[in-house]
Amino acid sequence: MMTANEHTLKFFGEELQQLKAEVARMGGLVEAQVADSIRAVAMRDVGLAQLVVGRDQKLDQLQIDIEKKAIRMIALRQPVAQDLRRTVAAMKLSWNLERTGDQAKNIAKRALVIADAEPLTPLTRSVERMGKLVLARLKDALDAYTNLDLDQAMGVWQKDQEVDEHYNSLFRELLTYMMSDPRTISACAQLLFVAKNLERIGDHATNVAEMLYYEVTGEEIVGDRPRWNGGEGADVDRGFA
Amino acid sequence: MPLFQSPSPVFPAPSSARSPARGWLQRLYDDLTGVLGRSPERVVDAAPIAPAVEAATLQEAALEALPDPLLLVEATEPNDLTGRRITFANAAARELLRIPASGALLVSAIRHPEVLEVIDESLFGAIASETPYEPRSAQERVWRVRAAPLPGQGRSADGEVTRRALVHFSDETDARRAERMRVDFLANASHELRTPLASLSGFIETLRGHAKDDPQARDQFLRIMTTQAERMSRLIDDLMSLSRIELNEHIPPSGACDLTLTVLDVADTLRPMTAEKGVKFDLKLPKRGEALIAGDRDQITQVVQNLIDNAVKYSPSGTTVAVEIVTGLTSEGATAYASNAQAMAAAGGGRLSLLTPDRAAPDAYVLVRVADQGAGMLREHLPRLSERFYRVEGQKSGASTGTGLGLAIVKHIVNRHRGGMLVESAPGLGSTFAVYFPTPARSG
Repeated sequence: MMTANEHTLKFFGEELQQLKAEVARMGGLVEAQVADSIRAVAMRDVGLAQLVVGRDQKLDQLQIDIEKKAIRMIALRQPVAQDLRRTVAAMKLSWNLERTGDQAKNIAKRALVIADAEPLTPLTRSVERMGKLVLARLKDALDAYTNLDLDQAMGVWQKDQEVDEHYNSLFRELLTYMMSDPRTISACAQLLFVAKNLERIGDHATNVAEMLYYEVTGEEIVGDRPRWNGGEGADVDRGFA
Repeated sequence: MPLFQSPSPVFPAPSSARSPARGWLQRLYDDLTGVLGRSPERVVDAAPIAPAVEAATLQEAALEALPDPLLLVEATEPNDLTGRRITFANAAARELLRIPASGALLVSAIRHPEVLEVIDESLFGAIASETPYEPRSAQERVWRVRAAPLPGQGRSADGEVTRRALVHFSDETDARRAERMRVDFLANASHELRTPLASLSGFIETLRGHAKDDPQARDQFLRIMTTQAERMSRLIDDLMSLSRIELNEHIPPSGACDLTLTVLDVADTLRPMTAEKGVKFDLKLPKRGEALIAGDRDQITQVVQNLIDNAVKYSPSGTTVAVEIVTGLTSEGATAYASNAQAMAAAGGGRLSLLTPDRAAPDAYVLVRVADQGAGMLREHLPRLSERFYRVEGQKSGASTGTGLGLAIVKHIVNRHRGGMLVESAPGLGSTFAVYFPTPARSG
C-alpha cells in the first residue's frame, strides 16, 4: 500500500505533467497565432488577420488558467527544489507565451492596415522571411521545453543574434524604401512595426530557452547573450513598441 | 529524465505478444492492406522477420513499414490533457514528429491547435475529419492530417475508460510546391526581365530612328543588345533551375559524391577565366574518396561551381582563391571551423550562418570553404546574401555577369542535402563562403 506521502508525491507528479502539457498546448496555439499573423501580412489576408485578433482572448484565458493552477499547486503541495522550479517555470512560460501572443495580435492588426495600401511585394517577402526565422526559433524553444532538451535550448539562446541582425537589415531596407519613394512611407512604417514585433517574439523564444535552462539546472545560463549592436536599427532598438 | 513519462512502454517492439489491442489492430491492418493493395508478403519484404511470427507481430510490422506517418492515440477525459497518449507511432511518424522512443503525451509531439482539434473530434465526437498541417522544419512540408475514431472502448491500467483514434498523415508538399513555384516564377521573371527588355526596346527604337544610317552606332548598339539578350537568357536559365531545385527540396538526394573530385573538376573548367583575370587557386583537398558526402553529383557541382565562380569574379588580379575541404566535423565544429569572426567584426564585417540544418542523428559533416581576397562586404549585407536578386551596393561583379540568383541556388541545394552554409566577410579582408554536407550513413 502507498503511504500518504507517496500519494502526495504521485499526485504532484501528475498535476505537474498536466501543467506542462497545458503550457505545451498554449505554446502550440501561440505558434499558430504567430504563423497566421505573418501569413496575413504576406498574403494581405484581412479575414485571417481578424481571426488572429479574435483568438488572442483564448490565449489570455489559458494563461490565467495555468497561473491559477500553478499557484494552487504551490500553495497546497509546497513543492521544493526541481518541483518548485518546474512549477514556477510553467507559470513564467505562460506569461511569456501570452506576451508572444500579444505581439502576434499586433502584427495581425498591422496586417489590416497594410492590406489597405498598395502591395510592396519585395518588402513583405523580407518580413515573411524574418517571420519564418523567428517561428523556427520559437518552435525550437518549445520543442526543447517539451523534450527537456538542454542542448536545443542553448542553441536557441546562442542564435538570438541572427534574429536581431535580420531586424537591423530589414530596418535599413525599409528606410531606403521610404526615402526613395515617400508614397510608401505609411505602409513601410507599418512593416517596420511588424519587424519590431517579430524581433520581440525572437526575444521571447530566447527567454523560454533561458527558463528551461533554469528549470533543469537551477542556474542561469552563464555569459552574456550574444548580441550585435552595430546597426542603425540597434540604436533605436528600445524606442519602439 | 524525460519530461512526460508514460505509464507504460508505448512503442511495441515487433516481438511483443502482449498487445491488448490485437483485435482492432487486426481490423486496422486488414483495412490498410486492402487500401494499399499490398499483400502481407510484400510487407514482410520491407521489414524482414522470422517466418514463424504470430499474426499480431506481423500486423505491427506492417503498420511500422507504412510509408505514411500513422499514430494511434488514446484518451480518457476531454479535459485531461495528460490522458491523451500516443499508444503507437510507426517509423515514419516517429521521424516526422520526433517522438521520444519511450513514448509520449500527444501534446509533447504535436502542438498545432488545429491538428489537436481534429484528433479531439475523433476521440470525443466520433467524427472523422482532416486539416492541413505544416511542421516548421528547415525543409518546408505540407501534410494533410486525417483523424478517424476507432471502434471499441478499452480500459487503461487505472481502470479508466479510454477512447481511441487513428491519425494518418499524407504528404501534400508536391502539390503545394508546384502551385507556389508557378506564382514565384511569374513574379520574379516579370520583374527581373523588365529592365533588360526596356533597354532592348529602347535600342530598337534608336536603330529605327536617328541611328539608322550610322554604321558605327549600329554596331555598338547591336553589341549591347546581344549582351542584354544573353543576360535575359541566363536569368531564365537560373530561374528555371532554382524552381526545379525548390520543387525537390523536401526530397533528400540519393547517391554519393566525392567533393575532392568535384572541386578539381570545377577548378579545371574555370582555368581559362582565372588565367584571363590573373587569379590563382590554392587548393587544400583530402585524398580522393575521403571527402564523400550523400548527394546529387550535378547539384553539388553547381554549388561548388557557383561558390568558386563568385570568388574568382570578385577577386582582383594577382590574388589567390583558397579552396579547402575539411572532413569529420560535427555540425558545431563546422560552424566554428577556422573562425576569424573577431577580426572580421573589428573591420566592420562578421561571420554569419546563412543556413543551419535541423539536428540529425549522425552528426558528421564535410565542409568546403572558398575564400577570396576581394573587397569584402559590410556586416549589414551578410544576412541577406542568399536572397534572390539581393545585390551589395557599389560592388563590381565584372560587368554585371551575375543574375543575382547564384547564392540562392546554393542555399536551396544545400538545404535539400540537409547541410549548412556560412559566410565570413569584412571590407578589406575578403569573403569566405563555406558549405557543409552530411556524410553518408555507413552501410555494413
